[in-house]
Amino acid sequence: MDKQPILAAIDPEIMDRLATRKQEIDNGSYARPGIVAALAIGSVPIALAALSRDAFAQGTIPTAIKNVLDFALALEIFENEFYKAVLGTSNYTPYNTAFATVRSQVPATALATLQQIQKHEAAHVATLLATGATDVFSLQVTSTNAQFDFTGNRSASGGGPFAKATTDLGFLLEVAQGAEDTGVRAYKGQAGNLMTQPAILEAALRIHSVEARHASRIRRIRRSLNTGTAALRYSGTVRGGDAAAAGATDLGTNAAAVTAAFTKIYGAGSNAATFPSESNVTQAGVNVSTLTGAQFGVEAAQEAFDEALDRADVVAIVQPFFIPTIA
Amino acid sequence: MSTHDTLIIRSGDQLLQPTTRRRFLGLLGVAGSVVFLPSVFTACSDDDNITDPNNPASYTLNLSNDTGILNYAYALEQLEAAFYTAAITSAGFAALSAAEQEVLADLQKHEVIHREFFKAVLGANAIPSLSFNTTTVGNLTANATVLLSTSQLLEDTGVSAYNGAGKYLTSAANLLVAGKIVSVEARHAAAIRDIRDARGGNTGRLFAGDDVVSASGLDVKAEPGTVLASVVSLNVVTSPLSIGTGPTGTATADVKAPTPA
Repeated sequence: MDKQPILAAIDPEIMDRLATRKQEIDNGSYARPGIVAALAIGSVPIALAALSRDAFAQGTIPTAIKNVLDFALALEIFENEFYKAVLGTSNYTPYNTAFATVRSQVPATALATLQQIQKHEAAHVATLLATGATDVFSLQVTSTNAQFDFTGNRSASGGGPFAKATTDLGFLLEVAQGAEDTGVRAYKGQAGNLMTQPAILEAALRIHSVEARHASRIRRIRRSLNTGTAALRYSGTVRGGDAAAAGATDLGTNAAAVTAAFTKIYGAGSNAATFPSESNVTQAGVNVSTLTGAQFGVEAAQEAFDEALDRADVVAIVQPFFIPTIA
Repeated sequence: MSTHDTLIIRSGDQLLQPTTRRRFLGLLGVAGSVVFLPSVFTACSDDDNITDPNNPASYTLNLSNDTGILNYAYALEQLEAAFYTAAITSAGFAALSAAEQEVLADLQKHEVIHREFFKAVLGANAIPSLSFNTTTVGNLTANATVLLSTSQLLEDTGVSAYNGAGKYLTSAANLLVAGKIVSVEARHAAAIRDIRDARGGNTGRLFAGDDVVSASGLDVKAEPGTVLASVVSLNVVTSPLSIGTGPTGTATADVKAPTPA
């Protein structure tokens, strides 16, 4: 049976970034593919950090870069723990219990989607840690410690405007969509801060596009359950801006709060010139709804470009879900 | 024996005529005079005119600056726009469901918008409009299966191209714009993959399948040379698109868009 280096079997591209330490690799751990497949993703990053050519051998990574990585990690931990709660695989049993009702409502194919998404979010956590991020807000969820309130009330006892996500499939999917679209906007807003570290920038871009895939698929699931809601494009793209861009079909028990949240997610950031609403059609000074040869109306122009948000804007969106104060 | 003759050339075309050419060469041999009237030079094609579609140099990309990178993106958007514009009137499109057609119609609009956006921002620095092999495009849209698999490949390739080129941009504003576009290309890719999934195994995972997202949770990326080679192999672009100068910076290992299963 073929043997192969563990890391190469899990992620062939890793080998290109590893330091050429033939001794370690030759004498290192080899395992049969079956064993390899059984290894948890969590066991890989330590080896990555030790061997990765990208590790900053001289000491700390630049503060500006680490700040971005730490922030991204916080968002990925949040997403990962959210999906684990939905799937019933959280370390913290009360999360699993809370989502039991809605979990039973998720159709098989959609459930597989949520599993694939969670797998990616867990991988993003691992990759960011391996790249140098640290859990500066102490968000790790254990069997006894949980720092998220998925109802959006910053409280261990929940009761927030998004509680309906635990009992209603349609509402759950709205929340998932909002979370994914927030992450997509957040990564775009941070990319410029990573330009001095091209390899890290590239990793961030490659995570960002995965989140965009997630967001698109969630939107398509929602349209398949609300076929008459044409604002929810089957193309997975975002039409319009502010709360309307959410294509919400249910505002739950606290409509004002939910609407306000969607307005933040799909509206303009505090610096509206750089971080406009998703309804924006001016790109690099060009009105993309009136281009010669591309006059399809404002909606296609809105859909054709996604927008970014800066860190403060994203913090304002996600803080209600984090019990500790993040910044 | 020739006396001191003077040959007057009024246009470059004259030198293509055998009689004039013979005389021209003969005069060079006996120290005669050849007068090129100014009209000869003003009629010359300017080799520096980068938008001249008849000049192969116009399609040579200089990726050492942001303009070149944006032209690279412009070329890819031209390809996608041409494919989808043909697709939405094709036999393959007619065979799609209404929901699937909505997707293709959206994608066509978005890619044409992307193309015209780059054309507008690049202005005089834009490469010319590319020419396409309509026979090949027809083959790639002849039925729903090939239309959808080609679409998936183009979208995944687009994602890989933007993800691989982003690190070479030097202006944060350009990086932001590129990010806004790749975000949408990734949505497109997920939608097409999801359509194909529903027609196939209905796994619920193909939108971001293990064939395109690594165990580290990373999407595809490819260097410009890799992407252009993939594009050329489609045999869709007939213009001599090539890289004259590569990017400034350090290339990373490619993780190419997979061939659709």
